[in-house]
Amino acid sequence: MFQLSADGKKKVQEYLKRYETKRSAIIPALYIAQQENGGWVSPDVVKHLSEVMELPMTHINEVLTFYTMFNKKPVGRHHIQICTNVSCSMAGGHDLADYLCERLGVVDGEMTKDGRFTISRAECLGSCDTAPVIQINIDDYIENVDKAKLDQLVNQLK
Amino acid sequence: MLKCTINGKEVQVKAGATIIEAYMEAKENIAHYCWHPGLSIAGVCRMCMVEIEGNPRLQIACNTKVAEGMKINNTSAKVKESVEWTLGFHLINHPLDCPICDQAGECGLQEYYMSYGKYNPGMAEQKVKKNKVVDLGSKIVLDSERCILCDRCVRFTSEVSKTNEFGIFNRGDHAEIGTVDGMPVENNYALNVVDICPVGALTSKDFRFKQRVWYLKEFETVCNGCSTGCNIKVHFNENGLYRVKPVHNEAVNGYWMCDQGRDLYKFANKEFRQIKATKNENGHVVTLSAGAAAKEVGAMLNKSSGLALVLTGQYTSEEYNSILSYAKNLSAEIYYWKNNPESWDEFDGILYRGDHNPNTKGLELELSSAGIKAKDLKDLYSAIESGKVKTVVVAAPEVQKNYENLEEVFNKLNKADQLIWLTSGRNDLFEKANYVIPMKSFTEKKGTFVNHKGIEQKISKGVTIVSESLSLSEIVELFKGNDLVGFNIPTYERPQLLGGV
Repeated sequence: MFQLSADGKKKVQEYLKRYETKRSAIIPALYIAQQENGGWVSPDVVKHLSEVMELPMTHINEVLTFYTMFNKKPVGRHHIQICTNVSCSMAGGHDLADYLCERLGVVDGEMTKDGRFTISRAECLGSCDTAPVIQINIDDYIENVDKAKLDQLVNQLK
Repeated sequence: MLKCTINGKEVQVKAGATIIEAYMEAKENIAHYCWHPGLSIAGVCRMCMVEIEGNPRLQIACNTKVAEGMKINNTSAKVKESVEWTLGFHLINHPLDCPICDQAGECGLQEYYMSYGKYNPGMAEQKVKKNKVVDLGSKIVLDSERCILCDRCVRFTSEVSKTNEFGIFNRGDHAEIGTVDGMPVENNYALNVVDICPVGALTSKDFRFKQRVWYLKEFETVCNGCSTGCNIKVHFNENGLYRVKPVHNEAVNGYWMCDQGRDLYKFANKEFRQIKATKNENGHVVTLSAGAAAKEVGAMLNKSSGLALVLTGQYTSEEYNSILSYAKNLSAEIYYWKNNPESWDEFDGILYRGDHNPNTKGLELELSSAGIKAKDLKDLYSAIESGKVKTVVVAAPEVQKNYENLEEVFNKLNKADQLIWLTSGRNDLFEKANYVIPMKSFTEKKGTFVNHKGIEQKISKGVTIVSESLSLSEIVELFKGNDLVGFNIPTYERPQLLGGV
């Protein structure tokens, strides 16, 4: 059974107070919970949040399923999102994604067997001037990526 | 009040009314899926487009307020074209499986396709596949592909039943209605979402595939499930009753009814009914016609002393009136059989009341106007034991499942020398009574129910299911030895009592 940490719970409570309606706090609350649950939102998480936020599960599930940035399936420790929008695509984003998938023996959106990586293609990450770009988990951006950089990353990340 | 012109007709509406409400007021047709008078405004289906004079763009009627002097129409070519396009978009991912769809015949898509569509769909793309035949518990089946995302069910469960089961999940053309992890929808108002679903996405498990709707006729009456007295329409054909839907009555039930009440039509159908009268002669059960049995009983009652009449709140005021005056003439004692009186004041906050009798108020009114103080059943048990009461006539409840102590009461009353059991529902138990006489169900008689607020409502005779069955008024005539030819139920006048009940 998933439980938010004391700190996470406090943050969720603060978000609840920040907005006019409780439903507005669902996105930030889901982000907090997703991070605490190892990068994905399980049905347990939805249930727990509905209790903490005093909102019906339906409302939380509606937001969860609307946004692709919430993972509905378990992800690896390093969730590598490769931008395949216009600029990155022209600079070889799809090739990079194909290369990485082949190297790790997975298909799009799949997690490697050792639980280290999940590879997925993402829409514009907002860094077109340094295309192609990839994002690892929530905050790491790696710019001007090429195959050598990817190899280096895969060897580095544990 | 504001004046406006709807399709050339001048109407007056309340300040703050929306254009679609003005259309309802003017009794003009307007296409709509998401708007429902009992729910909040969503404005998502875009079908109710209207042209307002002086406004270059079309507006949706459900979310635009009427202003003084507005000239509105939805008959122009511009509006028709717009509705046609909107409908086309609704149909992009619709499976068009009308031949196997339960909604066919009462489907909003079919209806508007006939008035606005009739084109060859230009969509060459593959349709998006979604969940079909999703089991949402004991009452509802969901077909996501047929859904047009009007979100009426979502608003109903959040605003009316306040149970929040339905939501719209995913996004874009993958968006679909559903419940979290397919959680069953078991609240007592769940079947209202089937009524308000304008397409075949939500269908009732009970009614599914039982009958095509164009083979059904309907009549309006009042539900006999509890003291709220929801206005209903019953759908039937020559094979019996098939389903019940609510009829709008702002003073009583609004637009809704509960699922408990929806189930009660079953007890009026033949398989649950007492068809013939029976007579128990020392353990030997003889079947006879209801009229003959009533006359035999009547002759016996005239001769006997120590009479008791047991009443339940399940009959019409007219019937109470006739039987009470008959009982008075025979100086019979009146007893009142109350089911679960301790929970009579319970109320679920929406419609369903703890008093599961449609006419408790009516019975109380009749009793007090006749100056009778009805006694409790317990007194009857002791009167039977002491031999004071020898013959008991029971106007038994029509909805047996609402009388949990039915068997216990029957067995106790059967200790009397003669037990005459008047019942519309069948039960093997009853054969032990000296006489069982088939009664009419609430769908087969005219009359009045007085609801918990004291609102008088007429029920109407819509069908004949058991042709021999009798109402209490008719049985009184037969008891008296009269014939029923030319007998009319006396017109009812509500007794005027100071202070009421």
